[in-house]
Amino acid sequence: MHSVTLYHWEPNANSGKPMLALMEKGVAFNSHYLDLLNFDQHKPQYLAINPQGTIPAMLHGERVLTESTAIMEYVDEAFPGPPLMPADARDRWRVRWWMKLMDQWLGPSFSMIGWSVFVGPAVRSKDPQELKAAIERIPLPERRVAWRKAIHGEFSTEEMQESRRRVTLGIRMLEEELAKRPWLASNQYSLADINGFNLAYALPLSQPTLSNDELTPNILRWLRAIYARPATKACWAMGRTSMVKRVAILEQPHIGQAQAT
Amino acid sequence: MNMTLYHGEPNGPSLTVLATLFAKQLQATLVPIDLARGERHALAFAREPQVAQSVEGEGPVLVVEEEAMTDSVFIACFLDDVGQGAALRPADALGRWETMTWCRQMIERTAPAAAYLGCRAHPPRADAALLQKIGSTDVRARWELIGAGEFSEQQLADSTTKIHQAAEKIEARLQGRQWLMGGFSIADLESYAWLAGMVPLVPAAFAGRPRTREWLERVKAHPAVAQALARARTADPAASWSVGPEINRWG
Repeated sequence: MHSVTLYHWEPNANSGKPMLALMEKGVAFNSHYLDLLNFDQHKPQYLAINPQGTIPAMLHGERVLTESTAIMEYVDEAFPGPPLMPADARDRWRVRWWMKLMDQWLGPSFSMIGWSVFVGPAVRSKDPQELKAAIERIPLPERRVAWRKAIHGEFSTEEMQESRRRVTLGIRMLEEELAKRPWLASNQYSLADINGFNLAYALPLSQPTLSNDELTPNILRWLRAIYARPATKACWAMGRTSMVKRVAILEQPHIGQAQAT
Repeated sequence: MNMTLYHGEPNGPSLTVLATLFAKQLQATLVPIDLARGERHALAFAREPQVAQSVEGEGPVLVVEEEAMTDSVFIACFLDDVGQGAALRPADALGRWETMTWCRQMIERTAPAAAYLGCRAHPPRADAALLQKIGSTDVRARWELIGAGEFSEQQLADSTTKIHQAAEKIEARLQGRQWLMGGFSIADLESYAWLAGMVPLVPAAFAGRPRTREWLERVKAHPAVAQALARARTADPAASWSVGPEINRWG
């Protein structure tokens, strides 16, 4: 069996997806932590692995795999362990549909808010020349724009409003879908749930007036059920920042509207 | 299995799904609709979240046992699983990862660019009454900009660049191979479907790229693609465009 090395940041968003998938499958891996806030992902050592400078990347033997959602599907197919994709073809379509919505429509809106309140302020105090050089090292032009906006707080009022609109609508869509079945895309725990947990694990803390036990009981039930899984506990224990420790909110048996406001 | 496919002209995502259906020898009731008039929003299930909020924009809808399915690559994966004949994805996990990664780049970077350039060259004729029925605020906003003829110079330039990048990537990938993933696959279909209409609009992207030009002809001649193209109701289906996926809002 070839060894697996995962280059990742925190168990959060894209990094957390393959981390949790590997741990659910019971695949041992070498963890290579990259400090996103220190721009480790744009340093030559990592660009030699993934020239695009995006996190995560996975080495399986000599193979280099990128794109977190596609890595998850690979992990599910390449290793033994409990299946993380349903057996039914239409259920698999639903898993992929929800992952795309989260990856390309809802996730970027969560990220814009998250970067404006966490990532931007966390790196803004660094030396301006150092920051400028760090931005110039970013290979993808789109990511240069993203970092520049986050660091300098340049998200416009309209952009933030649109992100909040999408987050509000996305929460409603998740709540309605989770009212139909125990897990997001099928009656079986799947990659869609792993993807969704990475997006929404701190939802009752970050969006307390939109998601709590009274307004979104199905989302809270779902998040707690994922958090109760041993793989999730072990995965989030690998986190180093205060950002991922927010997951502890899910240990509260009830998060009410009054508490939220 | 009872299936009905509501599809537009054989271009973009409608072409991918039609050709996959034929390649996999599946039977479905085919219902042509005019995506360029916004007819998708008159369908009974238009407000279903998987239709209204489809990231793909104005793509086809496959109804299977009363469930409305959207997003062409994932519909194609479904049809590949349930149909007959040669598989349209590699058998090994690495090949399947490559296919999904390739398609992700295609739907996230190339498709928005192609739809933007295609809609500018061949504006969809929006039916105002139908557009009132659009369930997604952001899809409606894209329709309104196109209807007003508002195309940003920056996004036009960026879209043109992305078509060049796609052709460059395909040319490199075809070194020593006939199809993008070894055998004919969903990656060939999805890539061809978005790029065939770009040849007359961004000719420089295809100039000096003989492998890509030959591959375009090869895909077009594939029996399943030819069968899909034969369903065209217009003289040039590659000139039929409607609102596509969103160009990345940020990074």
